[in-house]
Amino acid sequence: MNHPTAIALRDLTKQYGSFTALDHLTLEIEEGSICGLLGPNGAGKTTAMRCLLGHIRPTSGSVSLAGKPLEPATFESLAYVPEKSALYEAMTIADHLTVYRQCYRNYDPVRVAELLAMFKLDPRKKVKKLSKGQRTAVMLILALSYRPRILILDEASSGLDPVFQRTVLDLIIDAAANGATILFSSHQVGQVERAADRVAILKAGRLVLDGNVDTLKGSAKVVEAIFDGSVPELNGLASDARITRIERSGRMLRAYVNADSDGVARHVQALGPRNVAVLDLNLEDIFFNAVGADRAPVIGEQ
Amino acid sequence: MPAFFTVDPRTGVPLYLQLIEQVKRAVALGTLEPGEQLPTVKALAVDLTVNPNTVARAYRELERDEVIETSPGRGSFVRRNGTVALESRRNVEDVAATALAEAVREARSMGLDPDRVRALFERALARWFPTEGSL
Repeated sequence: MNHPTAIALRDLTKQYGSFTALDHLTLEIEEGSICGLLGPNGAGKTTAMRCLLGHIRPTSGSVSLAGKPLEPATFESLAYVPEKSALYEAMTIADHLTVYRQCYRNYDPVRVAELLAMFKLDPRKKVKKLSKGQRTAVMLILALSYRPRILILDEASSGLDPVFQRTVLDLIIDAAANGATILFSSHQVGQVERAADRVAILKAGRLVLDGNVDTLKGSAKVVEAIFDGSVPELNGLASDARITRIERSGRMLRAYVNADSDGVARHVQALGPRNVAVLDLNLEDIFFNAVGADRAPVIGEQ
Repeated sequence: MPAFFTVDPRTGVPLYLQLIEQVKRAVALGTLEPGEQLPTVKALAVDLTVNPNTVARAYRELERDEVIETSPGRGSFVRRNGTVALESRRNVEDVAATALAEAVREARSMGLDPDRVRALFERALARWFPTEGSL
């Protein structure tokens, strides 16, 4: 299980004037892992990715890929799919592929042909004639054309239909199954829940939650208790390190727990409720719990 | 590729646990037979659109539980080693225990007390084992 670190951001801070886009962000991703980067708009996801790619210089801190700081050779095995199209409108798909074939030693024409067929794309078409989905497909094909070891995708499937989104996930999974390390940001928790083994949640430039998705699901629970009268005084619960948040409403107590839910349930049981239940949380619940309960602005945006 | 594996990533149950349960169930029910080969980690990950490390984790635990065995270069197989009957019996119990625990948890989360749950269990027992159900 001890794979070497493929992607590392160490104590990364990025200031724009008085605005802090990244605030001492440290994140290390193991080789072969798929890490989903979640966070509300403006949380710093794109900034973190662009620091990794060398597009912007951090105010302090460092990045490394495959154990080394960014150097020209890194780009041979690093691919990036940005949120907005980075293609040349007047060029054909084939023109773009020619450039990549000349730039990358590992360019794999067989893989490219497979992917073109999969997306039913005619390489003779000019970019300006392509739909949004087709443009994304071309960017994915270019990114995968040289079988990169590290793949970074920024909202690659946003605004695309569900079938296309699934295809993007399939390609990410296929790349990871072949040993690539992937960092992808998304507004869709469900995508991360399905494809990622690792999740990192940013809020206001800070890492607020980071871990293995299954491990988080295994430990993050809600202990829910219903009392016959009002909820009694919570002796010691408010300062219990296992509890991240407590909600009380009427006769109901809900304690969000990040470890030892059975122990917390026993503790709550001692308060004499009518009923105590330990409920599972899915990643969406865990996400909202980490970034705060302010739901409306996060979901459903593109 | 066996079509009987399905997972639901949107629940709170970790995916690798869902996979473990599915494989155990398939072995217990005989849909996966002793000696039968399982899909590779990569094939199953791609087939289900789930993370390869998650599938690998499920396979590792299944191996530790002696449900499957993996030989390097050949793949993973349902264990066949003379204790199949015992294994499969244990697996049946695992699967049943998980389903029962789920039902009890559900009942509790809806506010039923232990006596009510016990009564429901007795009723279910009486329904499916008409002659021996009443204890």
